[in-house]
Amino acid sequence: MSVSKKVVLLGHFGVGKSSLLRRFVENTFSESYTVTIGVHIMKKEVHLEKENITLVIWDVEGTDDFTKYRPSYLMGASSFIYVFDASRSVTYSDIKYNLEHLKEKFPHVSVHIIGNKVDLVDSEVLINDLNAQDIQHSYLSSAKTGENVELLFKDVAAQLLENA
Amino acid sequence: MLEKLRQEFLENTTQILIIDNTNRVLETDNSLFYIKKNSDITEFHPFFYVISSLFEEDRKEQKFYCVQIEVKGRTCFYDIRSIVDFDKKQVVLFVEDLTDHYKTVHQIKQVRNESIINFNITQELNHELNVQRGFKNKFLANVSHEIRTPLNSILGFLSVLENTNLDREQLDLVRIVKDSSKNLVSIVDDLLDISKIEAGRLEIKNKRFNFKKFTDSLVKTYELQAEEKRLELISDIGTNLPRFLIGDQLRLNQILINLLENALKFTHKGSVTFRISTSSRNMRRIPVTFEIRDTGIGIPKEHLTTIFESFTQLEKRGLFGGSGLGLSIVKQLTQLMDSDLEVESIENEGSTFRFTISMGVSHDQKEEKKVTTRRVKKSSGPKGKKYRILLGEDIEVNQLLMMRLFADEGSYSLDIAKNGEQLVLFLEKYQYDLILMDLSMPVMDGYDATLRIRNHKDKKIKKIPIIALTARTTEEEREAAKESGMNAYLTKPVNAEILFKTIDRLLHRYKNKKTEESVE
Repeated sequence: MSVSKKVVLLGHFGVGKSSLLRRFVENTFSESYTVTIGVHIMKKEVHLEKENITLVIWDVEGTDDFTKYRPSYLMGASSFIYVFDASRSVTYSDIKYNLEHLKEKFPHVSVHIIGNKVDLVDSEVLINDLNAQDIQHSYLSSAKTGENVELLFKDVAAQLLENA
Repeated sequence: MLEKLRQEFLENTTQILIIDNTNRVLETDNSLFYIKKNSDITEFHPFFYVISSLFEEDRKEQKFYCVQIEVKGRTCFYDIRSIVDFDKKQVVLFVEDLTDHYKTVHQIKQVRNESIINFNITQELNHELNVQRGFKNKFLANVSHEIRTPLNSILGFLSVLENTNLDREQLDLVRIVKDSSKNLVSIVDDLLDISKIEAGRLEIKNKRFNFKKFTDSLVKTYELQAEEKRLELISDIGTNLPRFLIGDQLRLNQILINLLENALKFTHKGSVTFRISTSSRNMRRIPVTFEIRDTGIGIPKEHLTTIFESFTQLEKRGLFGGSGLGLSIVKQLTQLMDSDLEVESIENEGSTFRFTISMGVSHDQKEEKKVTTRRVKKSSGPKGKKYRILLGEDIEVNQLLMMRLFADEGSYSLDIAKNGEQLVLFLEKYQYDLILMDLSMPVMDGYDATLRIRNHKDKKIKKIPIIALTARTTEEEREAAKESGMNAYLTKPVNAEILFKTIDRLLHRYKNKKTEESVE
């Protein structure tokens, strides 16, 4: 039996949190947008070199103001994945404000920042924009093409095992 | 009895479960979903992994709203309340089925979120377009300025060359080069205008002007051009039109020149009709309709919608030159005047361009007295002395041009400072009657130099007339020059006649201690 860890996907609505989850767990993708209300949870066992780990991933309803997240959704989380839409700057313009809130309420939980839908933008322009706003991202991903999705969750899993 | 009724008629929407701290199901009533006693509840759904963390929390009770759980292939939405018994190491779960309620919420949020996302995407696209447009306009403005500077020298020296001892053939050649250079100036002007219009920086400035004089002059100019092409220019200017109207003469002139020149350019036989009319006798505002009709080559039907786009020139018309910006500017200028340019055309029969603008009728319809400015006679300085002019100009070729222009004028002497700082030093050292000031200069530009002069402790220096001499043509630059204290504003290429008339006028006023404070 592998160790299980709770990971929460956070971010504005429509940034592709559910799509990332489905790509990772089921390897599927749908072009149509379906709103997530409340919370949708999936799990997947990740096989790492030394050990296996079960990621229990909470895909919570999107919001632009993280102070509005229900505490029970974030309770017991080992890692946060902050997803933004690379094609809509409004979804990352407030990243610092939301990160401050997470750092204050969950100081020991690691946060991974992911720019999703990278297939829709010019990565160079995006990176320049992110640098200009001093936004340190972990990965640029695409749930549509699968770019960096597996890698991202494996990284999260490896870090969780390391910190366990 | 009530309990019996409840069981008979009301659906049980809440399931109660008791789970231990190893996720084992101790008790369940299975009202919503079936789960075996003693089974691991996390195998039913990963939500229940949360149970282990409930024992680590200080709070006894927690509530999880709207948890999506698949039951027999159906997505259900549950609110789940947990109460921990820390002593027994058990947790009681109350799972309430609110699927119908949350499905309604889902529909509402789906519509709302989709519309917000679409709005965001539109905003992003607009932003991107504005950035691109801004870049284009800045590029156009910079390139135009850079082209204009050497062009000024070309035109200036051509004028000088024209007045030297040339034979007929040489004179013809100079005039061809001069005409081509003038065309280039007008293309550069078009580029500047289009960038200003697209950046929303072009304003319509309505002022009283002599409409009759304005239209008479246009007709006269284009009658001559028509004659040269053996065409007839038919003018039909409504006799009921007031003599003085209120409108933007400069931009109206630009529109009509473009349309009249196009009509003459694309007509090889027949006539061009220039008609202006009004249907109103209102004393305050009247609609004025302008119509230019030609019997020229016409425009193919499929091109009627694209001729107003920037840089559009019909292939067939490529032979005629031009920037392809004229009609786009005309269209946008008419729109700025709350009008719209209409076009009717039949290929090989001709075209008609028409627009109607609302113009104010001036209360004062009296002809203004003609003010004449006399040129200061050559060598007519005080007691035979020459007027001393100081030029601030950093570009050598422009310095040479001005020296050449002044060489033919006996009543002035010209000194040149290569920047604003040097110009102020010269002023303090020598006596001058007037300053010609380039605006862009290294070390100290024309604006700063003017501010220094206007704030100088020496009264004579402080009041010296200053004429801005610049390649910059924007209204903002003109305003900035006015604010810094310059008395007149002339744009390059320098027209020698206008330059000396302006110098004479300011010298005359200055000598009469009537130095004007404002830019004209």
